[in-house]
Amino acid sequence: MTKKEGRWMSVSIAAAVYFMFGQNALAMHIMEGYLPAGYCIFWGALCIPFLVYGFIKIRRIVSENRRSITLLAMAGAFIFVISSLKIPSVTGSCSHMTGTGLGAILFGAFPVSILGIIVLLFQAILLAHGGLTTLGANTFSMAIAGPFVSYGLYVLGKKLKWNQKVNVFVACSVGDLFTYCVTAFQLALAYPSETGGVAASMVKFLGVFAPTQLPLAVIEGLLSVVIVIALESYATPELKSIGFLSDTPVKGESVNE
Amino acid sequence: MDPKMLIFLIPAAALAAGILIGTLKAGHHSHHHGMFGHKHGEATVSIDMYAFQSALYSLNPMFKTIYAITLLMLSVCMNNLYVSVLILLLSTFIIVVLGKLPFSRFLNLMTIPFVFLIVGTIVILLDFSWEPAAGALGSVHLFNFYINVTKTGLTTTVLLWGKCLGAISAMYMMSLTTPSGELFTVLERMHVPSLIIELMNMMYRFIFTMMDTQSRMKNAAESRLGYKDYRTSIKSFGSTASNLLVVSFKKANAYYDALESRGYDGRMHFLQEEKKAPGRERVLAVLSVVYLFAVFFVLR
Repeated sequence: MTKKEGRWMSVSIAAAVYFMFGQNALAMHIMEGYLPAGYCIFWGALCIPFLVYGFIKIRRIVSENRRSITLLAMAGAFIFVISSLKIPSVTGSCSHMTGTGLGAILFGAFPVSILGIIVLLFQAILLAHGGLTTLGANTFSMAIAGPFVSYGLYVLGKKLKWNQKVNVFVACSVGDLFTYCVTAFQLALAYPSETGGVAASMVKFLGVFAPTQLPLAVIEGLLSVVIVIALESYATPELKSIGFLSDTPVKGESVNE
Repeated sequence: MDPKMLIFLIPAAALAAGILIGTLKAGHHSHHHGMFGHKHGEATVSIDMYAFQSALYSLNPMFKTIYAITLLMLSVCMNNLYVSVLILLLSTFIIVVLGKLPFSRFLNLMTIPFVFLIVGTIVILLDFSWEPAAGALGSVHLFNFYINVTKTGLTTTVLLWGKCLGAISAMYMMSLTTPSGELFTVLERMHVPSLIIELMNMMYRFIFTMMDTQSRMKNAAESRLGYKDYRTSIKSFGSTASNLLVVSFKKANAYYDALESRGYDGRMHFLQEEKKAPGRERVLAVLSVVYLFAVFFVLR
């Protein structure tokens, strides 16, 4: 390799590294216009039952206690804010939490599906992350699939009497990984590889997003642990006093006693 | 060059002329840079703020939304590169020339989804296989597999770039000219349940107060060696975030009291400016859509 070639090579590697590692982790939101119309409708339709049940649940929460509407709105704003904050990351890149896994643990999976779709809509309108046509697909992966896995694992861990910290960590990071896999699947299904079909395409999409998503899952888990522990030690009365948290497993007793 | 490309000539020239005139005019006024300082979360404010500053702010939000969504749908559903590029040119013209958003800001906003677009299309463009693919435009042998670029892959990639850019610009046409509050009213008129609208209105307001609180907490933590190394950063971030939730929950109660004392009965009423969609704009909008359909049927 001549000196000039070498320089070009290093520039291209730098560009590749920049795009791989420097990419905003919100890049996992499928962008506007990327999915063909059929898939937009398909994923959107798949979300409907979850959203309807989520809505029924939220309506029940609000009709039982009118005050909880501001709390629900705060919870939604909280998910938006923590997902828009730059989090400390090892590679120096700009990454963000998903926040929905933590939301599901704190507020329950069904309410989070409704809060999640609103957050995703805000992100599309206010930040241009994600999009209106891909809202269904993004809602399914980020506000339904991920949170449900997190919530399920968290409840399971509670039943199995796992250590609280381990439990939150596992629930949040596995939920995050699941979101990442579902998104890769959505992308692969829409754009299968010519020679290897959906499976090969999925491997490619998993591979290309792995450098940001794998460390992110670990960081998301760690941060969620820190947040939940801090909440349970400082805010048990708040969490308990709010009626709408009563049906979620966070009650505080398990850690404090 | 494909003679069909000539259809872009006039729209592109009009856009270029419009941008040029706009830039020259703006040159006489004061420069705006540095007006907000740099802080994270600025992006949240900026798109919405541009909407308030847009020259198209006074147009009827329902009209703008329907038009933008129509263009968005056309870009996604028609699968036609010419249509999508025309939509990109048209939306850029509307946002920059008619809406008077500085072109450089628009370009900055357009780069937000670029990373996804680049990564997402590289994956489609490059096909991996164990044997060299038949009819590949180019193919590289690496270890024991081949990386191929096929004609279909290339076509899909180019089409996808057009579609995504067309779609994102159409979406921007809506969000850069219509403030969120008005978009919620549009959703309400589309019969989204009022509870959801209520939640959206409240969440939208809380986001800003929360971000403000968070940035002050972050400053406080940093001034006390909060984010000094990686381990501490994780801890500081976590405790800031959890404290943010606690503080916000406490505020939420006070907010409800405030709402109730002002007669809140499950519906917040906002003053809506009466905004018209003049006949000329309507006719132009319909004509542009008809034109796109014509392009679609002629240049399939």
